[in-house]
Amino acid sequence: MRRGEVRLSSLKEDLDYRFSPGGVTRMVLPLLKHMQRSGLTKEAHWVSLNPTGPSTFSLDGTILHSIRLEKSRLRGYGMVKETILGRAHGIAEGGAAAREMFWSEEFAEYAHYNRLTAELIRRLDSTHDFDLFYIHDFQQLPVGHMIRSLKPKIFRWHIPFEESVIPDFWAEPLSTYLNSYDLVVASAGTYLDSIKKFGYRGKTRKVYPYVDPAAYSRPTPAEVAEVSRSFEIRRRDEVVLVVARMDPLKGQDRAIRALAAASREMPRLKLVLVGNGSFSGSGLGLGLSKSEVWRGALVKLAKELGVADQVVFTGHVRQQQLDALYERSALTLLPSIREGFGLVVVESWLHHRAPLVTSRAGIAELVKEGENGTLIDPDDVAGISEKMLELLGDSEKREGMAREGVRTAKLCSVDVGVRDESKMIADLVGG
Amino acid sequence: MVDIASLLTSLVYFGIVLAITWVAAHVGSSLMGRQMSRSTPAVAVLARRAVWLLVWSVGVIFGLQVLGLNAEVLLVFVAVLGAGVIVSLRNPIENMGSRYFTDVYVPFRVGDSISVNGFSGKVIEMNTISTVVLDDQNHLVSIPNTTFMHDITVNVTPRAWKELVVPVVVGNDIDLAEFESQVMKSLGKLQAHFDKRFPPVFTLKSKGAQSTELTLLLYIQSPEERDVMLAEVNKRITATIDSVRKTK
Repeated sequence: MRRGEVRLSSLKEDLDYRFSPGGVTRMVLPLLKHMQRSGLTKEAHWVSLNPTGPSTFSLDGTILHSIRLEKSRLRGYGMVKETILGRAHGIAEGGAAAREMFWSEEFAEYAHYNRLTAELIRRLDSTHDFDLFYIHDFQQLPVGHMIRSLKPKIFRWHIPFEESVIPDFWAEPLSTYLNSYDLVVASAGTYLDSIKKFGYRGKTRKVYPYVDPAAYSRPTPAEVAEVSRSFEIRRRDEVVLVVARMDPLKGQDRAIRALAAASREMPRLKLVLVGNGSFSGSGLGLGLSKSEVWRGALVKLAKELGVADQVVFTGHVRQQQLDALYERSALTLLPSIREGFGLVVVESWLHHRAPLVTSRAGIAELVKEGENGTLIDPDDVAGISEKMLELLGDSEKREGMAREGVRTAKLCSVDVGVRDESKMIADLVGG
Repeated sequence: MVDIASLLTSLVYFGIVLAITWVAAHVGSSLMGRQMSRSTPAVAVLARRAVWLLVWSVGVIFGLQVLGLNAEVLLVFVAVLGAGVIVSLRNPIENMGSRYFTDVYVPFRVGDSISVNGFSGKVIEMNTISTVVLDDQNHLVSIPNTTFMHDITVNVTPRAWKELVVPVVVGNDIDLAEFESQVMKSLGKLQAHFDKRFPPVFTLKSKGAQSTELTLLLYIQSPEERDVMLAEVNKRITATIDSVRKTK
């Protein structure tokens, strides 16, 4: 252990720190763990924004380095992040703001964060002599250009990249930054096509995001009973589960509207919304109040539609509780307006639950209609409601989908991910 | 009769001159080495040796004069040697000089597509002696830098006229991230003059012990504003360096 480095294992979760990984962290941590265990990597360093954490800490053999930004800068960085996120998901309004984003003071803060990251990576590289730089997600897109190294650089684009929704006036900066990477990885074939159309000239690879199936356990009946009591889910309730952070992009409003329509025919229907704010949307992170505002809007909507007592907001739950909620649910719903991939669908399959999946998710290319899930149009509330009722009324069909889903989930297991990523890295590094 | 005291004094002075010459030769050749650090190593070694030889020649002549010896023959020899070097290295020297002027005044850079003297292709290298172009047949064409001084060069890169490449050197006492974000904010006030599809992009060229070299790439709206925009951008960069240094 290095001087000044904090070992996370020496601290107590929920007392000293809270572990609330987003989709990227949930995927990359097991990858690093597996790569280190199998000897594919000797040492891994992780550089990310962490305004409140220690400057260096270790977790399962990975050294994490925190980039700290002052509050004033966090706001600007967060605004650019939200603009890019919104545009990539096709929901942002106000073309002028997006058009002038690259000349705004907020973009200067975004560049500031990226330069700090690049400089730290350069300093670490001068002592550790890394073999490869693997940059994850759009928040750090300019880092590849900024570190200016001849060593291989991979960029993984995690959010949707569809040419139909990304503003064409972003093509120049996006291609400038993307072309500083030797390889760009995305979660769906259509994203790679769009990335090329936006001027990227390097290699591309599709790798499905992945999870560690061993991390998902079947809860005991007592645990299910306990979680049901906690969230006032009664024995005869038909539970539809939505696992997503509190964000308008996730389309929880569609789920509530669909519930309201369906509950006319099935009054014991209950919608359980699991999740709280993202790092950006929470007070602990960038300090944007997006998640609280969205939750307030959803509560109001449920009241207006007369289904307030049928919608449960759990907020953040521990993994054990989440497993129990999956077990208690009849089916899962991913109503996102757009979704980079949708690992919660894989989680649903691993818990033997049939999913209703937005057709605008990367994972939609793995959903075989009626075999391992059902695709929905997130803008068609009546359609969602209809498909929800149809599946709830046919337990045999749901079980068949769940069985097939377990097979599909193997494509998104960490073993397959590690195999694909290792091959990709070996091809690039020449190992 | 030989004045021993005077001879000893002359010898001491001679020794001092040699010592100063030694220091000057080392400093001069090392400065030349640094200046030529991006050239071919063989050329850089040659240039260092030339400086070393020149300084020592001057030093020895001066030393001989201190000793009261006639250095005219040696002086003539050095003059002839110098003239010979200049004549034999005329082309490389011309090319080196031209490189300086093309750097400053001829509007193309590595990656651009140019056409000059019947050759055209993509610029892949600009060294002290020549500019290397990759043509359509994948042939490497080496164009002596002097060519750009007397032939018409056409930069056929799309949007080349819009590009404003500003070399920037920042001392390592300056916080690079702070400097970059301050410059971006400052340039934001001039955004009406730039093509907004292209954000200001800083590219790191090299990081030395004392300073960091970068280039700032901007795209202007009107070609006739090129000079005035360049001056304004440089003014803002200098002001930002001062302001970041003061707030340290």
